[in-house]
Amino acid sequence: MAKKLKVRYYRPKADVALDINDIQNFVYDMSRCIKCKGCMWVDHTYMPGATTGFLTKCPSANMYEYDAYNGAGKMRIAHAMAEGVLDWNEKALEIVYACTLCGACDTGCKRNLDLEVELTLEAMRVKAVKDGVGPMPAHKKVVENILKKNNCFGAPHKSRNEWLPKGITPAKKADVVYYVGCNAAYVNKEIAQSTVKIFKAAGTEFMLLPDEKCCGNIVFSVGMIDEATAIAKKNVAEMRKTGAKTLITACAEGYRMWKVDYPKLLNISTEELGFKVLHITEYADEMIKSGKLKMKKDFDSRVVYHDACSLSRLSEPWTPWKGKRGWMGCVEPRLKRRRGTNGVYAQPRDILKAIPGVNLVELPRTRENAYCCGAGRGAREAFPEFAEFNANHRLDEIKAVGAETLVTACPMCKSNFSKAVKENGDDVQVMDITEVICASIKG
Amino acid sequence: MDVKAKLSKVVGSKNVSDDPAQLTAYSSDFSYMPSGMPNFIVKPADSEEVSGVIKFCSENSIPVVPVSSKVHFYGATIPKQGGVILDLSRMDKIFEIDVDNRRVRFEAGVTWEKMTKELAKKGFRAIMPLTPPAERSVLTDFLEREEPTNQVYDYGEPLQGMEIVWPTGEIFRIGSASANGYPNSMSKGTNPMGPGLDFFRFFQCAQGTMGVVTWTNLKIETIPRMDKVLFAPLEDLDYGINFLYRILPRRIGQEVLLLNNTDLAAIVADKDNWDEDFERLQATLPPWTLILVVSGLVLRPEEKIAYEENFLKHVIDHEFPNLQLGENLPGFPGLRKKMFSVLRNPWPADIPFWKNNVRGACQSLFFHTRPELASSFTATVEEIAAQYGYPIAEIGMYMQPIEHNRAMRAEFNFFYDPSDPEETAMINALYVELAKKLLADGAVFTRPYGDLAPIVYEKAAGYAAALKRLKKVFDPNNIMNPGNLCF
Amino acid sequence: MAISKDILNVLESIVGPRYISADPVICESYRSGPGGYENGTGYERVMTTIPGCVIMPRTTEEVQKIVKVCYRNNVPYVPYSTGFYGPRSHPHVEDALLIDMKRMNDFSIDDKHFFIDVQSGVIYSPIQQECLEHGAYVVIGGGGAQASAIANLLGDGWSPLSHRIGMPHRRILGTEVVLPDGELLKTGSLATGDDPFWGECPGPDLRGILRGYTGVRGCLGIVTRMAIKTLPFQPEPLVPKGITPNTALALPEKRVKWINYVVPNKEAQEKAMFEIAKAEVGGAVTKVPLFWRAIAKAEDKEHFWEMWNKENEQTVHNFFIVRVLLIGFTSEEQMEYDERVLGDIMKELGGEARATKPSDESWIKNADSAGMWIMCGDYMSVDYVSESLSQAVKHGSTYAQLKKKYTPPLMPDYGDPGWFQSFECGHQGYSEFLVYWDHDDDTNKVDQFYLDSSKMNIEHGYYTALIGPHQPMYLTGPKYGPNYHIYMLKIKDEFDPKWMSHPPVPLAHDVFVERAPWMHNMKDWESPDDLPK
Repeated sequence: MAKKLKVRYYRPKADVALDINDIQNFVYDMSRCIKCKGCMWVDHTYMPGATTGFLTKCPSANMYEYDAYNGAGKMRIAHAMAEGVLDWNEKALEIVYACTLCGACDTGCKRNLDLEVELTLEAMRVKAVKDGVGPMPAHKKVVENILKKNNCFGAPHKSRNEWLPKGITPAKKADVVYYVGCNAAYVNKEIAQSTVKIFKAAGTEFMLLPDEKCCGNIVFSVGMIDEATAIAKKNVAEMRKTGAKTLITACAEGYRMWKVDYPKLLNISTEELGFKVLHITEYADEMIKSGKLKMKKDFDSRVVYHDACSLSRLSEPWTPWKGKRGWMGCVEPRLKRRRGTNGVYAQPRDILKAIPGVNLVELPRTRENAYCCGAGRGAREAFPEFAEFNANHRLDEIKAVGAETLVTACPMCKSNFSKAVKENGDDVQVMDITEVICASIKG
Repeated sequence: MDVKAKLSKVVGSKNVSDDPAQLTAYSSDFSYMPSGMPNFIVKPADSEEVSGVIKFCSENSIPVVPVSSKVHFYGATIPKQGGVILDLSRMDKIFEIDVDNRRVRFEAGVTWEKMTKELAKKGFRAIMPLTPPAERSVLTDFLEREEPTNQVYDYGEPLQGMEIVWPTGEIFRIGSASANGYPNSMSKGTNPMGPGLDFFRFFQCAQGTMGVVTWTNLKIETIPRMDKVLFAPLEDLDYGINFLYRILPRRIGQEVLLLNNTDLAAIVADKDNWDEDFERLQATLPPWTLILVVSGLVLRPEEKIAYEENFLKHVIDHEFPNLQLGENLPGFPGLRKKMFSVLRNPWPADIPFWKNNVRGACQSLFFHTRPELASSFTATVEEIAAQYGYPIAEIGMYMQPIEHNRAMRAEFNFFYDPSDPEETAMINALYVELAKKLLADGAVFTRPYGDLAPIVYEKAAGYAAALKRLKKVFDPNNIMNPGNLCF
Repeated sequence: MAISKDILNVLESIVGPRYISADPVICESYRSGPGGYENGTGYERVMTTIPGCVIMPRTTEEVQKIVKVCYRNNVPYVPYSTGFYGPRSHPHVEDALLIDMKRMNDFSIDDKHFFIDVQSGVIYSPIQQECLEHGAYVVIGGGGAQASAIANLLGDGWSPLSHRIGMPHRRILGTEVVLPDGELLKTGSLATGDDPFWGECPGPDLRGILRGYTGVRGCLGIVTRMAIKTLPFQPEPLVPKGITPNTALALPEKRVKWINYVVPNKEAQEKAMFEIAKAEVGGAVTKVPLFWRAIAKAEDKEHFWEMWNKENEQTVHNFFIVRVLLIGFTSEEQMEYDERVLGDIMKELGGEARATKPSDESWIKNADSAGMWIMCGDYMSVDYVSESLSQAVKHGSTYAQLKKKYTPPLMPDYGDPGWFQSFECGHQGYSEFLVYWDHDDDTNKVDQFYLDSSKMNIEHGYYTALIGPHQPMYLTGPKYGPNYHIYMLKIKDEFDPKWMSHPPVPLAHDVFVERAPWMHNMKDWESPDDLPK
């Protein structure tokens, strides 16, 4: 005999805000998930054939397979927790954190509906921390590194600028700040070096932040919202102090933090930051099109471009919103939802097409359907096998189209793919787009 | 218990008979299956009477053998355990021809002759199998899944909502004919699905073992305004089949079929000079003939024929240069008109059925296959026939492409003299051996008549087990045509 | 009673530890609602619960073993392919085992013989992509491209493309079914061999127990493998274009084309369908409800309501579009012929072709049902009828009248008589009524409307699809057949005497009426005392 369920209605005409501090803001969204699994499946219009094995875009669902790991499952779990009828356990933590918050679910759902899936998932992480169960132990270590040494790795803060190549000196003051980020500063230095070579080739003066610190991506992503807000405040203040008009970064996750999540944390719009945030691909594309950067040298290769999540579907500017939800769930005032339509999809491709010798082929799962590398937003730190599994899965797709070079636009993607390629002995070279640009502007 | 009296109470004494001469007429058919005598013949007028008869028989464990027409080829209506012949020939009403929805509703006893005439009056036709005998039941042919020669309709399966009588006597309506108040309801009976389950499927190829279908709705099609019958002589069956693989998915044509020289000769031989004409035709017709009818429909008929012919020409010119598809079969004037009449009309009752005309009787072996396997099955048939001394040149062969050539119904006809017991026994043995070999090689038999039944159900033992469970539900006393299928 | 540790261990030995879980968080994710098809209703709240355990098999053999274990140990189980269908496909009793078949995703295609061979976890859009690459296409049912092809073939399986392709039950070829007691039934050509190309069975056809009108939700067996007919298409590629949320297939204009015809009135609209059907042209012919257009145009929910609030009974009733899909199956010349024939018909009726986008946003590959929820957050098809075109065009107005009584809480649709279209070149017709509501409002009336529509259909003699397990069988049973419910229950008792397969289906809606106090005054029929409680 079925238990009578507690009636679970969204309270009508409640105040609502796009504020991840309180999961109750997303109860309407959670309760209206229709289990179509558009959060998981590639957009049906673009869906590849059944024999390909590239049908889904959710790394968590792909690896763990239970419904609990896809967007629809997570929304139901989150709903039950928000209603107080389900408790945290180890499995719940895995479900919440073995996820790159890649936004594929959010974009997929918003193709048809108005549900805020990504924000719900972020709010769940905030709730996990507030409830004292999160983040994962591995995250705590990384957060400690950031809070104590201003970088994810716990490396000496004073070595942060040692990546600078000879012959390139940042200006003391400039309109452009190059925000390097922890990965490019300490691990993938070739990205930082290539980036500044691009600035030089294009004749752009740039400066570094006087005392660059971690953007706080992991802190924010694992739900430690208070600490992340403090980092945001400090970093934004520091940037504003420089008087620069534009911040450019070559790290997709850093880009997203500055452009989207800092405003979110500070409850302002992206515009209200007071400076533009650009990814190096946006900048380089403009330079190529205006003739300031010339792609001279051939780069003969069959190339695929992997869309980094934070640069593509998660990159639309942020506008804070609060209002009321009324009849039929309509909100007022009107709200323009972020659906991933205007992500940075075209610019990297235009850059690659401008390079002589590049034979650019598209992967079956591309643009807003791109399959996340599996590393981002704390996933790799806490679930390394998850990052490995998904990198390998994406590499299967890359190899299926016969790619020789995999081009990425994020150091996390690059390092995750490089590790997998090395372990497999794959015949694919993994390069950041800055490196490819540099290879063509040289000589 | 006076069974005759009880039956007479239901249908009237005029419609019950136990006269030995009449009983004998039902004890055999055109097949070689051994004869079996019924005990009574009953001729009900309507569903209520059918229900009454069956209810009585069920309560008294008396077998019932439903018979809907005079023409039977497979032994299914020969009583295996005595009982009552339920002759439905009095139930021959065509209730309505629904012009808007292109549907006809009619009883089990309606013959092809009657149906074809009545539909033609309103500009309609039913999609027909090859040469259905004029006096055969239309409903039975569709129920028993006789394959139509016209395969252009993607939706296939012309049967729609019907009325049945269960083996326990209840009258039950299936599909949208089950709606409250039918036929005086908003439902027209066009949908065979449901209610609840697809009961109509239990009656397909059931040989009357699951109950009696008293009437049905059927899809009908508009008679085309223009037709062209095209022929192509073929030395090589595979060449023709490859051509069909190419053109049929492009939705070309109406009727399409392949006949070998023996079958085609038997079908078109002059009825007034049959033996001589048959011999001549058999000797001179090409080994195979592809027959394809292209038609123009309700609007702009000539344009439809034109685009189909243009497509055919393009394919033939570029891909099948050896195919000679034309309005005439060279050397056979008059064939076009004759064949067209054959394809659009039942086989006249006053002309001996072509299969029986060759030697007196015919045992047909038919099954479904992928078209590309048709010639290898043909080779198997010829090899085994030769072992039995059956002349290969005498085997009639008919290949019916199905739905865009996704499949093919292969039919092999063995003509024999039924008055010769040795020859009959040989045919019997040949048929059984062929069936076993072809089944083992992947041929699909979905109509397990007579000797075929135990062979098929042994291979489909799991299926038979489930079928028996179903049979138990509806016919707990096993009265409906016992001794057929796996029952 | 919770599934015992011993039984869980046995089940684990079948699939391995990774693929079985009784974790409460995992099980919670398999809850039906509160959103989704037919969710946000009293039926969902009263009749569904979360499973006690979830298991994910890979093969038919594993499913068989699982079912045998359940059957022997009286563990109720529910088959689940995507879970999209809503409460009727979710556990109705406590501690059921949910058999999630998503790992069963084998697929092969035979392009020469026009069929695919799939397991239960394969959904439509990748199938359609394979078909399009091999010169074929399938009907993607109204449930959407995210539906399991097998589940959809068993339960619904129609769309505007059914104008030509026809009813789904005929597309079922060789099939494997795990019966409720774990025995394996193979139908079609699989009954006697390994090639699934043919659907008819030896003698009486047991495909009859697989679906009926709109399926039996797995209560008579689990289909683990099915070969399904595909249909020949045309050879030019359909290219995906656009970026979310506006993705579509660019159509090769000389071989595939949608045309919207505006006709002067309802009579012309109906006659157009009859005539187009009789002329045997077109790949799809349908009437589109006005609010579908609003959904297609709306940027978001608020935009939808901004547009929709400007409509009224008059604008809705004066909107007469006949939407036709032309497919050049044979050649460009054939498509031109089809268009000329349409032109002839429209000229007679006073219809005019409107500029129509050379793309397909739905039906061919996307079959976008998810947008149905944008207006109100809840939706279901409370009635659909596959019968004749004559019935289809009349069903709407009877229905719209009844619906007014229940609006609100149903969304104001200004008496729109729903969606109707030609099926099978006019040999059948289809009508469907979609209702929308917000489950913050009074859902009792939604439940009552659902049942009331059943009574309306009985009274008027409409052959609604929503019989069988959808409505109380003891209400509809005596009125269709009559007494189809008796025969259906006999079959259920024969094949599942313990009622372990998805209990209490097919009597679930009968049980709902007993349990839900707001349904009691609607009950004016007899049902037995031993109805499952």
